[in-house]
Amino acid sequence: MSSIDQLVLAGAALVLLAILASALSYRTGMPLLLVFLAVGMLAGEDGPGGIVFNDAGIAYTVGSVALAIILLDGGLNTRAETFRTGLKPAVVLATLGVLVTCAILGLFAAWILDLGLIEGLLVGAVVGSTDAAAVFALLHAKGLQLKERVAATLEIESGSNDPMAVFLTVAFLELLLAGHRVPGWEVLALFAQQMGMGLIAGVAGGYLLAWLTQSLSLERSMYPMLVLSGGLALYGLTTVLGGSGFLAIYLAGMVFRHRAPRDSHGILAVHNGFAWLAQIGMFLMLGLLATPSNVLADAPAALAIALVLIFVARPLAVGLCLLPFRFPWREQTFIAWVGLRGAVPIILALFPLLAGVPQAGLILDVAFFVVLISLTLQGWTIPYLARRLRLEVPPTPGPDERLELAPRPRDGEGILGYRLGARTPALGLRPAELRLPAGARPILVLRDGQVLPPESAGPLAAEDWLYLLAREADSARLSELLAAGAAPAYLDRRVFYGDFVLNGEAPLSALAAQYGQPVPAGMEQRTLAEFVCSRIEGPPVVGDRVRLGGLELVIRKVEGARISQVGLRFPDTPG
Amino acid sequence: MFPPQFIVASRIGSRLDVSSKKRLLEVLGELLAAGQPRLSPELVFERLLERERLGSTGLGHGVALPHARMKELGEAVGAFVQVQRPVDFDAVDDQPVDLAFALLVPEAATETHLQLLAQLAAMFSDAGLRERLRRAESADELFDLLNGWRATRADA
Repeated sequence: MSSIDQLVLAGAALVLLAILASALSYRTGMPLLLVFLAVGMLAGEDGPGGIVFNDAGIAYTVGSVALAIILLDGGLNTRAETFRTGLKPAVVLATLGVLVTCAILGLFAAWILDLGLIEGLLVGAVVGSTDAAAVFALLHAKGLQLKERVAATLEIESGSNDPMAVFLTVAFLELLLAGHRVPGWEVLALFAQQMGMGLIAGVAGGYLLAWLTQSLSLERSMYPMLVLSGGLALYGLTTVLGGSGFLAIYLAGMVFRHRAPRDSHGILAVHNGFAWLAQIGMFLMLGLLATPSNVLADAPAALAIALVLIFVARPLAVGLCLLPFRFPWREQTFIAWVGLRGAVPIILALFPLLAGVPQAGLILDVAFFVVLISLTLQGWTIPYLARRLRLEVPPTPGPDERLELAPRPRDGEGILGYRLGARTPALGLRPAELRLPAGARPILVLRDGQVLPPESAGPLAAEDWLYLLAREADSARLSELLAAGAAPAYLDRRVFYGDFVLNGEAPLSALAAQYGQPVPAGMEQRTLAEFVCSRIEGPPVVGDRVRLGGLELVIRKVEGARISQVGLRFPDTPG
Repeated sequence: MFPPQFIVASRIGSRLDVSSKKRLLEVLGELLAAGQPRLSPELVFERLLERERLGSTGLGHGVALPHARMKELGEAVGAFVQVQRPVDFDAVDDQPVDLAFALLVPEAATETHLQLLAQLAAMFSDAGLRERLRRAESADELFDLLNGWRATRADA
C-alpha cells in the first residue's frame, strides 16, 4: 500500500469518525465543532491516534479554502429580509466591534504576556472575530429559532467580521516585520484597499455567477459546482489582487441568493453539505495541529486572556457598538455572549508562524486555548441562555420537502410535501375539505409506503405525507395548516402569542375600549401597529412584546416593515 | 369553574344551518339577548361585529370565540352554537368554523372578562373536547360536555 493510499485511509477514517461522533452532539448538547476538534485532538500527537501533523503551510491552505467555502455558504444562507433589522448593527459590530475587542484584548495580552504593544495587538487581532461556522451552526440548529433582530445581527456580523480580523492581523504583522512600534496611517490605506476591493469584487462576482447560472444550460448537478468553483476563483483572484477574498466570497454568496437564479434551493442544499465538509475538515485538522501538551505551559495566561475576552472585551465592544441601536438588554446580553471563536483565530495565528515572528508559537497556543474555552463555555450554554433570556420564538413552520419544477412556471409553483404529525391542525380532514389558498391543490397522499390519490385517501392521519402543488408565496399559509409543529410547551404558539390574533391596522382606542383598558396619552388616534412600534426601539420583529394595561400584545407577523398581525395575551390570567 | 347560569341549555344551538359568518353572529346575538329585557339581538350582533373588526375571534381548529362588553348587562352570559356546515370566519389557520362560543360580560367586569376568555380558550384547545362537541347530537348533550369539562392538562 502506497503512502498516498494510507493518507486517504487515515483522512477518510477521521472524517467518518467525526460524522459518527456528531451524533453525540445531539445527545449531549455538546457543540458540534467542539466534537470535530476533539476527534482531531484525540487522533493527534498527544492522543491515542499519535498522528504527528505540524505543517503550518498545509494547515493554512486547507483552512483558508475551508473558510472561504463556509463563508460562501453563509452568504447563500443570508436572507435579504434580515437586512431590515440586522444589517446596520452587524456592520458596526463587524468593523468597530472587532477593532474595540482587538484593542482591549491587545493591551491586556501585551501586559500579561509581557509583549510589545504591536505583538499584543496581534494577539487581539488573531482572536478578534466571531466564527461564522460556529455561529451559523448554532443559529441553524434544529429547533432553535431566535428573534429576528438577534439572529440577523449575529448572522451578518459573524459572516462579515472575518475580513476585518484578517486585515488587522495582516496590518499588525506588516508593522511588526517593518520594525514599527506603534500603528501609523498607512494602516488606513491598506484597510481601504482590502475592503474596497473585496466589496466590489464580491458584488460583481455575485451578479456574474447568478447570471451564468441563469443563462447557461448545464447538467443539473453542475450548478452547485459552478457556484463553488466560481466563488473560490473569485476568492483567489481578489486575494491575489490585494483585496479581501473572504469579504468577496461572502458578498458573492449574498448577492447570488438575492438574485435567486434557477434551482437556487437545490444549489443551497448542496452548498450546506459542502460547508459541513469544510467545517469537519477544518476543525479536524486544527485538532491534529494542536499540541495540547505545549499549550499547558501558557495555560494560566491564556485562560486569563480568554476570560477577559468573554467577560470584558466582547461585552464592552457590543455595548458600545449597539449604543445607537438601543437593543433591549436581553438581546444585547445574548449578542455579547455569542462571541463564539472558532477556526479563524487558529488560521490567523498561523500567519505570524509562517512569517517567522519569534513569539508565533505563543500566539498560536493562546489562540487555540481561547477557541477551546469559547467553544466549550459559550457554545455549550447558548441554547440555555436563549431560553432564559426569552429570545426564542416559535419555529416558523415550513414544508418538509420542496420540489422545484425545472421549467420554472411563471407564478413560481412548485411541489410542497408535508409529513403530518400528531399536532398538525389539518389532521382528520379529507384533502378535499382543506381550505387552501387559491391555486393550491393536493396531488397525492403517501401512507404506509403507498401512493394514494387525494380523492380516495380519506381523512388525513399522523405520519401521512401530503404533497401539494402550490405557489412558493403560499408556503407560509400552507405550513400554518399542515406542518407538524413540534415545539416545546413554552413555545406553543397559543402560549407564546396568545389566543387571539389582531390586525395591526385596528385602532388602538377600539381595542382598549373592547377590554376596558386605558389608552396611553397621545395614542388616541393611533393604530395598534403604531402603538406597538412606539414602544420598542428600532425596527419591530416577531416576538416583541408590549403591555397595554392588563393585556399583552405580541408581534406575530411582520410583512416588509409593517406589523400585520399582533397576538393578544392575557398574561395575568392562569390560562 | 364557570359562574352559575353562565352556560344554560336554552342558549345552546345544535346542528344549526348557518350560511355565513354574519348569520352565525346573528344567531349568537339572538341566543344571548333571549331572556335579557335590556338587550336586543341587533345590539348584541353589532357589538360582536365591532370586536371582529379588530381581528377575527376564530381561534383555529374550527372554533370561534366572539365576545363583547355590554353596559346593559348584570352578569356574564355565554351562548354556544354547533353548525351543520362550517362557515368562513377569517380564522388564523384559514379553516372554516363549526363551533362558536359567544361571551358577553358587564362593562365593569374587566378582570372577569379576561379570565373567562382565557378559560374558554384553554377549554377549546382540548382536541378531545372539540371532537366530542362535533359529534354531539343535541343541545343537552352539548350542555353536558361544556359543563362537564375539566382541565386535564397542567396549562389549562
